[in-house]
Amino acid sequence: MKLKQMMAVSFMLGGLFAALPGHASEGHGVALKHADIDVTDQAQIRRGLTVFTELCMGCHSAKYVTYRDLIDYPETSLSREDVDDLRGDKPLIAGMVTDLAPEDAKVSYGKVPPDLSLIVSARRGGADYVYSILTGFEHDPAGHVPDGNFNEYFPGNRIAMPDPLSWLGHDAADTADLEQQALDVSAFLAYISDPHQNERRAIGRYVVGFLILLTLVFYLLKKEIWKDIKH
Amino acid sequence: MAEDQVDSRRRNFLWGVASGLGAVGVAGVAVPFVGSMMPAADTMAVSTTEFNLDTLVPGQLVVIAWQGKPVFVVHRTEPMLSRLKEYEYKLKDPESLADPRVQADWMKTTEQRMTRSIKPEHLVLIANCTHLGCIPLFKPSPGRAEWGSSVPEDWPGGWHCPCHGSLYDLAGRVIDGSPAPFNLYTVPYKYLSDTKILIG
Amino acid sequence: MVIEKMLNSRLAQWLDERSDIVKLTRAHLTDYPTPKNLNYMWSFGSLAMLVLTIQILSGIFLAMYYKPSAMMTSGGYSVAFDSVERIMRDVNFGWLIRYMHAVGASAFFIVVYMHIGRGIYYGSYKGPRELLWIIGVVILLIMQGTAFFGYLLPWGQMSFWGATVITNLFGALPVIGSFLQELLRGGFAVGDPTLNRFFSLHYLFPLLLAAIVGGHVHALHVVHSNNPTGVDVHEGKGTIPFHPYYTVKDAFGVGVFLILYCYVVFFHPQLGGYFIEVDNYVAADNLQTPSHIAPVWYLTPWYTILRSFENKLLGVIAMGASLAVLFLLPFLDRSKVRSARYRPVFRQMVILFFISVLVLGYCGHSVPTPTLKLIGQLATIYYFAFFFMLPFVHKFEKTRPLPEEI
Repeated sequence: MKLKQMMAVSFMLGGLFAALPGHASEGHGVALKHADIDVTDQAQIRRGLTVFTELCMGCHSAKYVTYRDLIDYPETSLSREDVDDLRGDKPLIAGMVTDLAPEDAKVSYGKVPPDLSLIVSARRGGADYVYSILTGFEHDPAGHVPDGNFNEYFPGNRIAMPDPLSWLGHDAADTADLEQQALDVSAFLAYISDPHQNERRAIGRYVVGFLILLTLVFYLLKKEIWKDIKH
Repeated sequence: MAEDQVDSRRRNFLWGVASGLGAVGVAGVAVPFVGSMMPAADTMAVSTTEFNLDTLVPGQLVVIAWQGKPVFVVHRTEPMLSRLKEYEYKLKDPESLADPRVQADWMKTTEQRMTRSIKPEHLVLIANCTHLGCIPLFKPSPGRAEWGSSVPEDWPGGWHCPCHGSLYDLAGRVIDGSPAPFNLYTVPYKYLSDTKILIG
Repeated sequence: MVIEKMLNSRLAQWLDERSDIVKLTRAHLTDYPTPKNLNYMWSFGSLAMLVLTIQILSGIFLAMYYKPSAMMTSGGYSVAFDSVERIMRDVNFGWLIRYMHAVGASAFFIVVYMHIGRGIYYGSYKGPRELLWIIGVVILLIMQGTAFFGYLLPWGQMSFWGATVITNLFGALPVIGSFLQELLRGGFAVGDPTLNRFFSLHYLFPLLLAAIVGGHVHALHVVHSNNPTGVDVHEGKGTIPFHPYYTVKDAFGVGVFLILYCYVVFFHPQLGGYFIEVDNYVAADNLQTPSHIAPVWYLTPWYTILRSFENKLLGVIAMGASLAVLFLLPFLDRSKVRSARYRPVFRQMVILFFISVLVLGYCGHSVPTPTLKLIGQLATIYYFAFFFMLPFVHKFEKTRPLPEEI
């Protein structure tokens, strides 16, 4: 009887949880491309940082990531010299903020480009979304949206960001290279959206392992103590 | 009751292991909570301050913040430095030996103990009076001409603390008779280049 | 045993002579007589206390760094949003404490909903435990309020628009509506004053909660625990001391809970957008509503009830009634038998009731479609029908024979 109830409860909870994530990742129609990234891969994150500083930072900021963080985070661990090259005359403790003034951006693009510190957490699909957008520029089949503003994966298809990787009309020979750049920068953005995530998972293994041991001991103790009670 | 069949050794062992592991768990939980109250990464990041010395004209004093504390940086002129030796008889602790906080690793020669700086012209000290922590006023010129009766007649030039009247010379050394017990405390600093220092 | 030794120590005796501490500990913890047949569904009460402790503890430490200000900073963010990100990035273990708190909020509702479900299924609300049940409903309401206040604090898009929608609900009430709305907002729209007062109330409510939980436990210890059979237990024959039997059993329950909780905290803290919603990583913007807005999962059943009515006022009243009717539960059910185990009709009704709440929750979280709306309306009808049928069930229900002893 007890076992049956426990099973029923865990079944209910399990069903509830199983039903959830599939529903939450529901996108805006078009299925996103899968970004096969590794946020523990220092080389990939560093390559992504380069793409970010050379392309994205023309318009976008990542204000929650300071230049000093790039030295301190083990996932980037840049040298002081590299960071000095990147920051120019900005202070070490300043966030990575674009030189494009918001007012100018509004004039050029019609809106202020969003800060990218949290973009992977702030979009359904996360890194897949970023990767799909970067490699999703196409000619508008209906011919309404001008080239460079039509994106297959953007909700409503009309995007204010002009094709940053020059994906549209690129040579077939460059496809792999551009896809790699898009992946790398997706990895970097996924990393900075939660910079302690690798540490978190590493600690988590020990914590959950310890708790399983503890619970096992509690279970044995419970069995032992309850031998006293006749049902 | 199965009381007599109970394996009390097994039972006690399990109690012991469960309590021990439980205690480890509780101690583990304390780590992040206590840790979170220590200075955060961005606070630590500003634990050093860079300062450009060429922004100072000779004779000028600035008060800058280091780790949230005020720090004096003075560009001392030749006449200012020359007065240090002259008035040494008035000081409590001319060679800065009284307390570890008034000393520094680089204070090796008598000259450095007198000027209290790595290079004589640039003085860097904690700006809090060693009495009760007020920031003393900078009164560099000697005598009472500029300062009136707030300083003694044979004033060598230096700092006067407005709170309880402590006096320091131009090396931050406390003048005898002041309520302050020690010279102004030193700050760890080093030269990054001829014109740039790193405090902290 | 160690605890026995501690209770007999000279220090304990000294304290006992001045405070009754040993007598109270014995009466309410160690020797407290508990039915011997409680199943694991009875673990959720102590689990709820554990999660409340986790929430208060992590909350106190978060408040050391959180800043309740809607003042704008660069990039369209605010001081409040920045301070949360500072906790996530710069404060030592700040990410852990924040995720503990965010996941803890959902865990609290999972545990408490299980606890309430157990109470309904086994008839724990029935006499003499009516007051115990009513205090429990008060706890639920305060929890929901606390969660609502807390959800505004990160000052993200869901925070802002969630608070906007819910304060608007209060505005729909006749006569006092606009007064209540301004009282909550402290302005013409959700803004800086709202954020400040919500932070204050979010700190206050859990302390109220802790006090009321004390009352809940006290009321429990006056009328004693129900048990799966629902039969009155005679002390001595059917009871065993709480310690060590239920302390170790609850410890095992706590272990299982902590494994699941820590797994989520360390590996899936946002749980696919259910525990921390995707849109709440976007800074609050009072000029743009997110494309899909729904409350956090634990409030969605009531949100569906609200949406099931075309008329806004009716919806608000229905939502209020769906919570208020819980207070009446002990008085609606007239059956002499408590546990659903021995009440075949009631058992079917209760299971269907649980399913209807799950369905309501699902509908409330989804993008509204005509089909889902209809399903939500049917679930709403059943939700209320359950309570309307209760006073009449005992008239035709043939209960199974009850056991003499447990």
